[in-house]
Amino acid sequence: MPLIEIKDRAAIAGVGQSAYGRRLMRSAIDLGADAIAAALADAGLKRDELDGMIVTFGTPIGADADTLAQVLNLKLRAYSQTWAHGRFTASAIQWAALMVASGMANHVACLASVSFSGLRRPVMGGAGDSEGAREAGGSHGEDPVFGMTSPGAGAALVARRYFARYGATSALLAAVPMAFRKHAALNPAAIMREPFSVADHQASRFVCEPLHLLDYCLINDGAACVIVTSAERARDLRQPPVYIAGMQPLPAGREEFIWAYPGFGVAQQAAFDYDAGAQPVYRMAGVGPGDIDALFTYDAFSILAWMALERFGFCKPGEAAAFTQDGRIELGGALPMNLNGGLLSEAHIMGWNHQVEIVRQLRGACGTRQVAGAEVIQWANAYGDSLIYHR
Amino acid sequence: MAENKDEYRKPRPAVSALNRPYWDALRRHQLVLQRCGECGMRWYPAAPLCPRCWSRRIEWAPASGRGRVNSWVVFHQSYFRGFDADVPYNVAEVELEEGPRLLTNLIDVGNDEIRAGMEVEVVFDDAAPDLTIAKFRPRRASA
Repeated sequence: MPLIEIKDRAAIAGVGQSAYGRRLMRSAIDLGADAIAAALADAGLKRDELDGMIVTFGTPIGADADTLAQVLNLKLRAYSQTWAHGRFTASAIQWAALMVASGMANHVACLASVSFSGLRRPVMGGAGDSEGAREAGGSHGEDPVFGMTSPGAGAALVARRYFARYGATSALLAAVPMAFRKHAALNPAAIMREPFSVADHQASRFVCEPLHLLDYCLINDGAACVIVTSAERARDLRQPPVYIAGMQPLPAGREEFIWAYPGFGVAQQAAFDYDAGAQPVYRMAGVGPGDIDALFTYDAFSILAWMALERFGFCKPGEAAAFTQDGRIELGGALPMNLNGGLLSEAHIMGWNHQVEIVRQLRGACGTRQVAGAEVIQWANAYGDSLIYHR
Repeated sequence: MAENKDEYRKPRPAVSALNRPYWDALRRHQLVLQRCGECGMRWYPAAPLCPRCWSRRIEWAPASGRGRVNSWVVFHQSYFRGFDADVPYNVAEVELEEGPRLLTNLIDVGNDEIRAGMEVEVVFDDAAPDLTIAKFRPRRASA
């Protein structure tokens, strides 16, 4: 038995964001300050009540936790920060939940702020490819000797194998970014709001084939923040709490590749028929995939939505191509996904913009893009971690 | 291939104490992989111990140089100046007969002719005086 029963013990009490834009020409610290202040105001918390922070994407693209604490003159009892990747969103919230459950902190700001327009040289993809220079290679499969660079190339490798293995096509994959763009059209904060057709998708240039430009997320500036606190404390604050019912941590190992579930057979993964089985997040939350009112996923590249659907058992391996057609993942469909527009169309805030949207959906505050009666919403990713929230 | 090999402008490998034998062998036109002296496992990339049994009794041993295309991509955008003239260029993941997968560039085949499962064999590309790279080409009828 676990030492701490964590189900429904932690909640999101406040959410906030900065402006999002392609080239805001504002620093990551500046944007992060906006998001933190907005989240505190949303929760009805004073600055000095914030005593914990976890940042998932710092130097050189984002603002680091210690710097934010200095600039904002915070009194943090506890902070932490991950290696600069988008994959740690659920991890940060899980650790924050453990922090508040154990009394290490009372109110934990979890966030990333990014300022790609402030970068002097590329750090992901290209000549400054820090991933490719890593001993034993990059975490998205980077190997600059062969010109293999950038997270998108690793996703393209997965997409090509998916197409070859299951007979799917790029035209079918177009349904994913098209759906998220439709949602972005309903979101005034989204950077890309113009709907497009399959023909537009197919006509957009290849970046790393078989992925087209419209399969790639945005590169932008912005920050988003959520405040994690105890469920008890959240009930005393300004907004209705959004509870964290289920948690599934981030796995690693030889059978994991960042953009593919075990058995898919890329990088050094064994190739076998994956069976989602009973994913721990559902057992903990006491619900199943059929109970999920909306699904949010880390959509840096369109193919990741297919991988997430199959990894968590919404459909079987090879079935996501058909599953995502005919509006099923759109507002009004059986499983609406990424109602904010996702990284593909709202903004790339490392998944923090998705957490903000999940909370607002569960508050019923999303206006024309509101999922009617949304009670249970899941964050689940190609790389295997997950959160299940409810109101 | 037209580039001046004395002025190699593509990214060079990050040679480390772990993987130096791999790169040294390529210069001798040998493709080698580590092998576990306890359980026989072969693997890539270089590791200090056998990923399966953690034995440190490991050796570098020749690989067949034969494999199949597992997946591939085609870069339509250049991220490195040294690859500017190559766009669009392919990067393939080749599954060797021994099991491990290598990233590589396929030569002697059009980007539109690459297929999953295509049989390929290693080619030693003397890219610079001090650097040989393992590339692959479609396997030729029984040599």
